[in-house]
Amino acid sequence: MKGINKLVIALTAVCLGTALILGGIYAFTRDTIEKQKREKKIRSLKSVLPPTDNEIDKDYIEIDGGKDRRGNPVKVILYHGKKEGQLVGTAFSIIAHDGYSGDIEIMMGVAPDKTITGIEIISQKETPGLGDKILKEKWRSEFKGKSLESKTDKGIPFLDVKKDGGGIDQFSGATITPRAVVKAVREGLKIYERASSKS
Amino acid sequence: MAEINKMAAEIADVQPGIQVPGFSLEKYKYLWSDFMNGLWSENPVLKLVLGLCSTLAITTSTQNGLGMGCAGLFVLTGSNGLISALRKVIPGKVRIPAFIVIIAGFVTLTDLTMAAYTPVLYESLGIFIPLIVANCIILARAEAFAARNPVDRSIMDGLGMGLGYLLTLTVLGTIREIFGNGTVWGASIFGENYIPMIVFILPAGSFILLGLLTGFFNQFTGSKKMTSTEVGCH
Repeated sequence: MKGINKLVIALTAVCLGTALILGGIYAFTRDTIEKQKREKKIRSLKSVLPPTDNEIDKDYIEIDGGKDRRGNPVKVILYHGKKEGQLVGTAFSIIAHDGYSGDIEIMMGVAPDKTITGIEIISQKETPGLGDKILKEKWRSEFKGKSLESKTDKGIPFLDVKKDGGGIDQFSGATITPRAVVKAVREGLKIYERASSKS
Repeated sequence: MAEINKMAAEIADVQPGIQVPGFSLEKYKYLWSDFMNGLWSENPVLKLVLGLCSTLAITTSTQNGLGMGCAGLFVLTGSNGLISALRKVIPGKVRIPAFIVIIAGFVTLTDLTMAAYTPVLYESLGIFIPLIVANCIILARAEAFAARNPVDRSIMDGLGMGLGYLLTLTVLGTIREIFGNGTVWGASIFGENYIPMIVFILPAGSFILLGLLTGFFNQFTGSKKMTSTEVGCH
């Protein structure tokens, strides 16, 4: 019995000591981590919008974004970017589920006239060197100024990869990734349209 | 050095009976050999072949390799030191859970600190920071070295092993970044027209490169058979 007591005391002491120290460190770093997270969010929101001057991460509405594959409702948060009180664009994040490996989270900005002001890839696990070319600025800028109504020279909707007749580049060896992103962006535009027609 | 000499002199003053000659030099030699042991002759990755999960997965760039190496170095040195200091207090029967708690504590500390002060690196290392807890090198050194040796030697062992880990990861990351991405520390070196050898960035290239590196390293240092008790991990 005495032997067991010693073991219990030793292990409890080690755990307690560790927990106390970590508690202190957590309290010390918590604010900085929160600040970093907020800055990161603001940075990604601003990157897809024209210049704004409001506190963009605090000016948002939550809307119903349909249902995901499992039938659970999806909430989409629309952040309003304003300049001198005037709405210049709305930013929100959408998730493409049909990438090559895992979900791709995309931040997209839409102007009040329903054209895209920019897209940014928040997180992705695509193949390095192939699918992850979606991170390149040059590719992402192809979306700028386009909307669901935009057409290619041949009169086909622009927001599709070139292989499917649209105007967005795919990369040789990786069609699945850009196709998934384009599809998600189209979905996003539809969600935005629904939301703006309601209000 | 100077401090050790001073200490030796003080001991000699108070207790003339204690053997002083050669004391400081002897100790210094021990510490140095503990340090070099980890860095070179028992390099944790290339010689003991431990901690390969993070080594293979994270070394896609110099920055990632260096960041992960630094995190590993810190956790290893800290946990080695603390475990060694507590080695006589912790009963043998519960030593493994106690070690793991201490290691996990250091890892969480690193995790929080990196999240707060190096957010970009934290993002790119992702899940591999918390996974240091399960990194075999750390527990192996706690078991095989820190639990049996005094604090100063354990810290030197942690520093040596940690630096060995850091160097290997940095070298791997640099080679993979140069060939797989055509960049050094994010800056393009072959120009825009370079078509990267993607295989170096993919897991397959990681395995091939690590194999070659291990081969070359053992060619240089000579191979020495190690038992599993010496390695401290199976």
